[in-house]
This record gives sequence, C-alpha cells and structure tokens, in this order.
Amino acid sequence: METIAASRCPNCGWVVAPPVRICPRHPVEMVPVEISGYGSVLSYTTLTVAPEGFKPPLHIAVVELPGGARIFCHGKETRALRIGRRVAIEQVDGIFYFASLGIADRVSLFWKRRGAAPERTREAVKSSIKRFFDVYKRPSGETTPPAENGGRANEEEKNQDPAEKR
Amino acid sequence: MRDVWIAAAAMTRFGRRSETLEDLMADAALEALREADRPPDGLVVTAMDPEEFVGAGNFASHIGTYLGLSHVPGLRVETATSSGAAALYAGFALIASGFHNHVLVVGGEKMTHASTPRVSEIISRVIDPHERSYGATMPALAGMVARAALAKGLFTEMDMARVAVKNHAHGARNPYAHFQQPVTLEEVMSSRMIADPLRLMHCCPISDGAAAILLTSDPTGLKLAGMGQGSDYLAIRYRSSLTGFRATQDAAKAAFKMAGFGPERVQVAEIHDAFAPFEILALEDTGLFPPSKATRAMQNGELTLEGRLPVNPSGGLNARGHALAATGLAQVVELVWQLTGRAVGRQVKATVGLAHSIGGMATNNWVTLVEQVA
Repeated sequence: METIAASRCPNCGWVVAPPVRICPRHPVEMVPVEISGYGSVLSYTTLTVAPEGFKPPLHIAVVELPGGARIFCHGKETRALRIGRRVAIEQVDGIFYFASLGIADRVSLFWKRRGAAPERTREAVKSSIKRFFDVYKRPSGETTPPAENGGRANEEEKNQDPAEKR
Repeated sequence: MRDVWIAAAAMTRFGRRSETLEDLMADAALEALREADRPPDGLVVTAMDPEEFVGAGNFASHIGTYLGLSHVPGLRVETATSSGAAALYAGFALIASGFHNHVLVVGGEKMTHASTPRVSEIISRVIDPHERSYGATMPALAGMVARAALAKGLFTEMDMARVAVKNHAHGARNPYAHFQQPVTLEEVMSSRMIADPLRLMHCCPISDGAAAILLTSDPTGLKLAGMGQGSDYLAIRYRSSLTGFRATQDAAKAAFKMAGFGPERVQVAEIHDAFAPFEILALEDTGLFPPSKATRAMQNGELTLEGRLPVNPSGGLNARGHALAATGLAQVVELVWQLTGRAVGRQVKATVGLAHSIGGMATNNWVTLVEQVA
C-alpha cells in the first residue's frame, strides 16, 4: 500500500497533504506523518482546455484521505467517477494518480505531463513494475464507499475544526 | 468613524479595447473627477497584475503621475480578482479614519492583447501551488465546485444555463457590457465544454476595462453604508465545504453589521458570477436568500430586471465582463447608476444595493452596501 507524506498540527490535530511547515489554522509548526494512499472522491472535473504544460482532456479529482487530508490527483478518466467513490492513490515521482490503472492507461497518462520523452517512458515502466508487485494490497474489511450524496454532510463535519464551528 | 459618501462613479466599456491600461484608467478617473468636482487628497490605485500583463511597476506612482496627481499621496491595493473592492475598502478606511477627505479610487486591467493560455496562466497563479501543479485553473476549481453542488442537488445544469441567459439578457441592455447579445438556453447548453460541467457560456470573458469612484466625507446622499471582508484558505482542499464560500459569508455579516440593517433591505445586487453557478451560491452565502431558496427564485424570474430582486442588472461578470481589478469597482458604479436613476435601458427601482466580489477561488471576498439616503 502506497503511503503519502503529510503533516499534522500538534495543536488541533488537523492533517494536511502534501506536508506544509505551518498549520493553516494556527501559526504552529506541523509534524510530519504518513497516511494511507486511498480515499473518497470529493469532486472532480475534466478540463477540455488545459493550461500550459498539460494536454487535454485533463482529468483532475480532489480526494479525501484517511484522517481528513485532501489531495489533488490526476486520472485516466472521470466518466465512471462519482462523488463519494473510493479510489486508490498511486504516487509516481511526486505526482498523485487516482484509481486502478492498466499499463496502457499509465503510459498515456504520463505522456500528458510535460517532460522529456525518455523520462516519461522510464516513469511509465517504473510505475508498471511497481503496479505488478503492488496490486491491491489494500486493507480488507474497509467500509463500503458512502452513497453519492449521503456521505457529504459527514465528511464536511468531520473535517471541521471544533474552534471553527459557528 | 466618519460616514463615507460617494461623490462620483465612472467606468469605461468593458471588452476588447485597443487603448493602453493607463488610458483606460485615465478615461474612468477623469470622468469621476469631473463629476465629483472635488480635488482628491488621497489616491488608491489597483490592477491585479500590471507587472505581467503590461510590464508596469511602482503602479500607484505610475498612475498618479499619468493622471496628473503626482503629489497626491497614493497607494496600490491588490487581493487578486477582488482588487477593485479591496481598493474601495482602502479608500473607505482612509476617509472613515479622518486621514483624508476626498479619495479617488481607480482600478483597471488590460489583458486581451495577450494569448488566452498566457492570460489563464497568469490568472491561475492566484491558486494554491499544489492544486495548480495538477493543472487546476480557475475554471477547473469552479468546475469542481459546480460538480459538488450538482451532486448535492442545489441546482441543475439547466439552472446554471438559466443564470447565463438572464445575465446576457441584462448585458444586452447595457452599453458598457462586453457582450451585448442575448443568448438562448440551447446556445448555453450546447456551448463548448471547458471544465466539466462548466461550458464556455457559463464562464466570464477576458475583458479590458477600468472604473473609478470618488469617495468623500461630504454627505452627498449616496452613502457607502457598509463594507465587509472575508478570507479563507488559499487551497480549496482545506475547506470544510466546496459548495459555499465562507469568505462571502463572513464578508456579508461584517457589511450588514456595519450598515446596521439586514439583507431584507437590499433591492438590487451585483454578484461575482465569474462562473454562472457562483451567482446562486453567492445569493445564499450573502443571506439575500435562505439556504436552497435562490435556485427557485431564479427559476421564477425574481432575479430579472423586472423581478423582486434584480441581480446583475449590468450583465454581471458573465456578460458585462471581468476586467479583474476594475470589476469590484464597476459593480459599485452600476449600483450608483441604479440608485440615482442613470442606468439607461436597464433601470430598476431601488434605494439599497449590494455588491459582492470574489478574490481568487473565494480566498478574499468583499460585500459592499450602498444606500441612497433621502
């Protein structure tokens, strides 16, 4: 199972990823933590007009990880994606990708990011090998993903700092 | 704290303009100075990114000198896409505090000479670096917000299109608007997909333009009744909710508290509809409508020029256009024209108006209340 570098506030316990030096809620230095690389989709979009350095269509999702940290990630497509759906996160060279991907998907994904061709090919191969040894080592007994809308209120509540409740 | 009044308001037409940024700002400023007939003793200047867009620096002095106000103390204010509202706030504070008596606030942006990818790249620098490194642009983040709101059932894709149709219909009656052609529901819903579920006609255009307001401590009858600022995390992934903006909620609370009245007195509103669904979310975040009531009000035609609460009579960012730092001021210019019977072709009946401005992806928002005092 992939782990993701994050940081935790010693004051309020909030976890953010990628790690940052100071808690966005308090002027307090955060401490590094590792969190598991899976979570549920909070929202997603597909850009048909991509910014410089990316090729459309560009699929982006924001995923909430265990403990409440959220990350942005890329994916092969968003057609089958739904809010609340559980996805695996894979990290290659510091870039997060959601969902389980086939080798062909992976190659085409890496080609969408800027970079030298040999480098991208190397990353695609590296990712495929890793994939071979790493398939679905997710913990068993996970709860089923929340229903499309049903989980939203809870997720929002969970991530709310008690001090922030009004 | 002294009361602050509006002595003059002026703007250029928004759109693809051939003039320089300096000339656009001068056109708006000179008209405001003529109308106010009070020499300013303070100057607040704003442009979101003149360094990148036009290569200008030391911008307050640059514009001060260009306007012939070299010896009027000036400063530049910037809060991303709400910079115009922030500049108005600075002018407001300078007068309320007694530091100055007559302050010229002028904002502008010139972007259409640059390519669209270049403009998008410059604007997207207002986004959190992690999110931006995944190709997140303003439309991408807005698309995620819209997707989350659709899933929650706050509105439908048809409702998003209805906002664009309404605001284009208003823009068609505003000679200062970037787009002065009405559009149909079918045209909006079949326009090119930009950031699923947002289509081209849900998104505001890239506009050039400028606006200026002269504030004064002399009672003019047109009172800047309240202003409020709200802020939020730069990263949208840090927020507890994607479908409402805390920065707007906090700004509205502060503005109404200062004004001493509630949302029920507002009779016309200029809302930051950079993306059509934001209008619906903002109407609830500002308290103008109770939660989940704005969509129905829009469907019933209550937000049109003839409706109970006309929203974006100028056409909003969607049709009047979005010249970044000019926009927050242009919204207040529209309110001034509406409250003083000068909104030719789109006049509504109102004595209290609200303007709402979003900076970045709702990281630094403002609510402004203008009141015509008898």
